[in-house]
Amino acid sequence: MIALLHRLGLGADPRPLARYLVSAAVYAISAGTAFGLLVPLLSTLLAGHTGTAARWLLPLAGTVLVGWVAHYEQEVRVLALASAWRRRLYQRLGTHVVRLPLGWFDGGRAAQVEQLFGGGVETAVRTVHLVQALLGALLTPATVFLFLLCYDPRLALTVLVTVPVVLAVFVLARRITDRTEAAHHAATRQASDRLVEFAGAQPVLRANGRGAGGRALLRDALQDQYRTARRQVFGALPGEHLGQLAIQLAFTAVLVVGLLLATGGRVDAPRIVALLVLGVHFLRPFADLAGIAGGIRACRAALVRLDAVLRTEPLPEPAAPRSHADASIELSGVDFGYPPGSPKVLTGLDLVIPAGTTTALVGPSGAGKTTVTKLIARFFDVDRGAVRIGGVDVRDIAGARLAELVSVVFQDVHLFDGTIEDNIRVGNPDATDEQIRQAARRAQVESIAARLPGGWASRVGAGGGLLSGGERQRVAIARALVKDAPIVLLDEATSALDAENEAAVHAALAELARGRTLLVIAHRLDTITGAASIAVLDGGRLVEQGTHAELVAAGGRYAALWAERECAQGWRLAAH
Amino acid sequence: MTGDLAALQRPVRVRITVAAVGQALATALSVAPMVAIVEIGRRLLAGGSTGVWPIGWLAVGLLAARLVLYLVAGLISHLADAELSRRLRLRLADHLAVLPLRWFAGGVSGRVKTTVQDDVAALHHAIAHARGELYSAIAGPAVVVCYLLWTDPLLAIVTVALVGAAQSVRMRLARRSAEPVGRIAAASAELSAASLELVHGIGVVKAFGRGEAPERLRAAATSYADAADAAQRISVRQRSLARATVAPATVLLVVTGFGTGFVALGWTAPVSVVAFALLALGLFELLTPIYAARDQRRRAHAAAGRVGDLLREQAEPATDDPVSLPAGPLSLELAAVRFGYTDEHEVLHGIDAVLEPGTLTAVVGPSGAGKSTLGHLLARFFDPTGGAIRLGGVDLREVDRAELYRRIGFLFQDVTLLRQSVRDNIALADPDATDAAVRAAAKAAAIHDRILQLPRGYDSVIGADARLSGGEAQRVSIARTVLADTPIVVLDEATAFADPESEAAVQDGLAELAAGRTLLVIAHRLHTITAADQILVLDAGRIVERGPHDALLAADGTYARLWRAQQGVAA
Repeated sequence: MIALLHRLGLGADPRPLARYLVSAAVYAISAGTAFGLLVPLLSTLLAGHTGTAARWLLPLAGTVLVGWVAHYEQEVRVLALASAWRRRLYQRLGTHVVRLPLGWFDGGRAAQVEQLFGGGVETAVRTVHLVQALLGALLTPATVFLFLLCYDPRLALTVLVTVPVVLAVFVLARRITDRTEAAHHAATRQASDRLVEFAGAQPVLRANGRGAGGRALLRDALQDQYRTARRQVFGALPGEHLGQLAIQLAFTAVLVVGLLLATGGRVDAPRIVALLVLGVHFLRPFADLAGIAGGIRACRAALVRLDAVLRTEPLPEPAAPRSHADASIELSGVDFGYPPGSPKVLTGLDLVIPAGTTTALVGPSGAGKTTVTKLIARFFDVDRGAVRIGGVDVRDIAGARLAELVSVVFQDVHLFDGTIEDNIRVGNPDATDEQIRQAARRAQVESIAARLPGGWASRVGAGGGLLSGGERQRVAIARALVKDAPIVLLDEATSALDAENEAAVHAALAELARGRTLLVIAHRLDTITGAASIAVLDGGRLVEQGTHAELVAAGGRYAALWAERECAQGWRLAAH
Repeated sequence: MTGDLAALQRPVRVRITVAAVGQALATALSVAPMVAIVEIGRRLLAGGSTGVWPIGWLAVGLLAARLVLYLVAGLISHLADAELSRRLRLRLADHLAVLPLRWFAGGVSGRVKTTVQDDVAALHHAIAHARGELYSAIAGPAVVVCYLLWTDPLLAIVTVALVGAAQSVRMRLARRSAEPVGRIAAASAELSAASLELVHGIGVVKAFGRGEAPERLRAAATSYADAADAAQRISVRQRSLARATVAPATVLLVVTGFGTGFVALGWTAPVSVVAFALLALGLFELLTPIYAARDQRRRAHAAAGRVGDLLREQAEPATDDPVSLPAGPLSLELAAVRFGYTDEHEVLHGIDAVLEPGTLTAVVGPSGAGKSTLGHLLARFFDPTGGAIRLGGVDLREVDRAELYRRIGFLFQDVTLLRQSVRDNIALADPDATDAAVRAAAKAAAIHDRILQLPRGYDSVIGADARLSGGEAQRVSIARTVLADTPIVVLDEATAFADPESEAAVQDGLAELAAGRTLLVIAHRLHTITAADQILVLDAGRIVERGPHDALLAADGTYARLWRAQQGVAA
């Protein structure tokens, strides 16, 4: 736990932490001391020596004063500490998550990341507050115990015997709780993913409503969540009540020994009553311990989840970043499979893309075209071989520099829920309004704004859901235009742009291509016949490369694809 | 939104009350050991030891009873909570399934997840703890104060005054923190939304983000941290003071100080001081649980409000008295159909058209003309705001949805596959379909061979071991529509071009799907629909031209202009 906290940077600034711990400890010890002073005070009072009892009030008052100062100090420190740590954690988590390889984000990560930001960090930070409660629950009884040892070793030993029993029970209970909690967590995550799917798939589910298929999936997931929740209730029972049972046994032991001492006449009545009072106060904090243990469990779980994400390695940054010579791209002997160790998507791929030219990648689905662009933009690192930009391995280019060099226009464009303008500005936060409007014009985004009821100020919905696929890609092209990077990787939208706009978008792309290295994943061969070079991929290898004319003449894979396209072009839908 | 919480927890109300009473009794019993020590002390100090052991054993017995009560009460309330969560989630899921699709436009997945999962979970405290804590906070102090008053009224008044002073500070603080706590909740919601957006847009963030977290996320984290700080800082001094006033050491000093004085004055018996040294200390803490859980309670109320809001969302009007469709081939008729997504912004301004059985109708026009909207109206994703759509002469609004979707199938551009087996995805409309039927549909959609290459064939799960390209996913959705086998199909022609590497195969599949059916094609590429029986040319929400290809070309209007533009691109 300590190592965990250290890794998560709680002790990044040791001085305030130390002062907080010291003030919390002083407060806890002062409380114990006050209880300790109670024994001489009470026993003299009960024995009828009121004057002597009054004198014991002075040290008690002094202890109370020390406690006040320590308590105030502790409260102020804990706030500062928690606040600084919370900010650091959010900052670290934010920067870390965006540096994780894209592969990490495949499958079920949305709920996990959302859980961390929307509550996980806060729970983790609560650890700081628990520290003072924990110190109180441990140091106060410890101090009381020392007093008890001085006053009456027999009673002290009795309470000492009960401590290991109490602690052992806690540890046992915790194991049971942990297991059921983890199961419930997993089931909840599953159900959450199903929910997001269910909401997103409503149109399809309704149009295929006869089977109510999606609902059954969600119902099963929710039912699972319920089952694990019930199990967690039973799993938490020992944690909540075994500790209480142990404390009650301890109380019984103290009472019995106390009564034996009193009825046996070995200790006089005033003293034994005062000692029993002390015994009760010794045991009282252990009842809090159950609550604190529960709190620590929750915090620990949050800390572990946080740590797991933060310990996931981002792609390594070069120790000595190098500068690239130009905007040429070269893949040599590249092997790659995701995740590492699974069947290779690319095997021994060699590909050269000269600076300032347009190269088209074609090939059947699964040939590895998209993977090539992801490796160039370093979403992943190659398993073998190298990807070079301007002669420099991308692993030797600083991440920030690489991000500046390369623009990527995805096939499945994701827009943020903001205005169109906000979405274009993502490409270059420093762009002037004029630059943004100009890029929008060139990428034919203006007509989209004209169509939307709110014009430029219309929001595009989460993920850009209010725009069509083709419209989203046009926004993405505008984004790449304002970013103005020397290398553009473009995965052509599979969804059709309508004829009028398609021509215009291609004109914009031609402009984007000028003076840049452009790699286009082409889904329609007719759009790339003019490319300087066409690379045909199949089965993760380069099978052909050349101009359109050369490849058609060669009569190989490309020529076959071209013939198929000719045939598809002639296709007519008919109902008869 | 107090009403929401009460209404939502009604099904388990009795169980909650029973548990709360049990918990309150248990809290009252927890004073047993202290009272026992005082009473034992009373007897010992009086010089005798008779009755000392019975008192001791009685205390031990009462403690055991308390433990059992706690256990049972906790079990009842927590199981009630689990049960209620399940019911609410299922109810919400059922409700989502009947909300109009309009509600889902623009992406609401995050909100749905928050309400159904997090908000329902946030009710936990209200269901499993709140009532019990409230009853305990009344029963516990009441028992203690009564006993102390009986023991020594004067010292009891001093004690109650001290605890009362601290309590009044606490109540004032509680009132003052309402506003900052509301800000924290809002900031936290924004933080969740921003983090979801980060994950969904991670590709873009990595490519354009310069290695930093997106601005929205950073801003959300900062404002959350600010809100949390502000909420704490305003109250640190008073809270610290209130705490110090009722710290165990302080209370000890006060009761023993006053106690010693009163004893010296002869007002109080020394043994009474023992009672206060034991019981006065815990008095303030007995009130604490209802404060410690203040945030949770507010959160529960806010969460219940959101759950209630979602349940109150207007469900799609059910078809009260469904008219059954006549058997046999039916014509589809659009009569003066008007539609707008919002009241101010009408997209379609009076569309008239008839689709005869077995014919092919194409809808063409520039983007934004309303082509896709027309398709959505036929699917009843929305209902027309004016005019009517009739199938076999029956208004779609009077047709039972299940029956409607048995007659009309849809193939839209946006592919949605569920995280389940490929087989179940294809058989979505008819889960009882035979394997042979599923395979036949997959073959028709030219995806059968690809499915067989997957690790577990048709049993491979989408997103787990079945990772399909966009085009392949499109073909699975074509197979789904083939299997649904509806006499009318509304098709987005862009589907045919989803997977250019096997364009011809997909086209064969679509041709098979088209054969013998009534087809409405939303067309982007005009040459694919030149053979259509009629072409509707849509512009700015109106049909500006209609007729077969040759006639439209001869008319030299909008269609002819579109045709020339497209030929230009192809050339």
